Amino acid sequence: MLIVGWIWGLLFAPEDAVQGNSYRIIFLHVPANIFAQMIYYFMSVCALMHLVWRVKLAAYLIKSAAPIGAMITFIAIFSGSIWGIPTWGTWWQWDARITSTLILFIMYLGILTLHGAFSNLEKADRLMSILVVAGVVNIPIIKKSVDWWSTLHQPASISVSGSSSIDPSMLYPLFISVIGLGFTLISLGILNSHSYIFTREKNKRWVSEYV
Amino acid sequence: MFNLAFNSFNEILNMDDHGIYVWLVYSIGIIVIITSFVIVRRRIKNIQNKIKIKNASS
Repeated sequence: MLIVGWIWGLLFAPEDAVQGNSYRIIFLHVPANIFAQMIYYFMSVCALMHLVWRVKLAAYLIKSAAPIGAMITFIAIFSGSIWGIPTWGTWWQWDARITSTLILFIMYLGILTLHGAFSNLEKADRLMSILVVAGVVNIPIIKKSVDWWSTLHQPASISVSGSSSIDPSMLYPLFISVIGLGFTLISLGILNSHSYIFTREKNKRWVSEYV
Repeated sequence: MFNLAFNSFNEILNMDDHGIYVWLVYSIGIIVIITSFVIVRRRIKNIQNKIKIKNASS
């Protein structure tokens, strides 16, 4: 599905009247940004579950989702930087959207580093969950940064509730790319959690029986 | 909606001098995603092998 969305967007969608063909980066950049934020929301729900109900699996899911979040946030920042060269004339600008996304990337790395710094894994799970919950405040800031501050970024062109300002010939491949990347990341997430659960539970009888 | 936006393979590659940016972004994106899958698959195999060795020795 991701390949279909990208081929449609790269080869069949019409050229943008203002940005020319450089806008085709949108079919990777926008889905990557959407999932960079959604993965953090998912992690914060898991963090609350771990902190409130002590669900062990929730901590495992946070630890499995964080590297995927870091990876997709890196792609979002990288694609945005490259897109900035032909459209803005610069690859980096300390504007609100880019800076808050960079903070998100640092948050993902911080979560992984914090967890790796403790030999007591239960304590690491708890502290990691607290950090995830504290960092969730950054996500609405990323979303609203283009409305609250004057930035190089344009305001949102796509809306779930209202009408989108983007033409359907560009919107449909973008929509398919979002769904496709979502499925790709879910598969990666399942594999990563599989690996992490095995690592953490390797001394348990059910793992021995399963393998 | 399903008409090819380019007339030749060269136009696809060049994209009015924006091809370098577009193809660079997609290449890096694909490499990063595929590498992530490879790393995770390898990690699963390693841990399964370790568990199997442990099971065989016990």
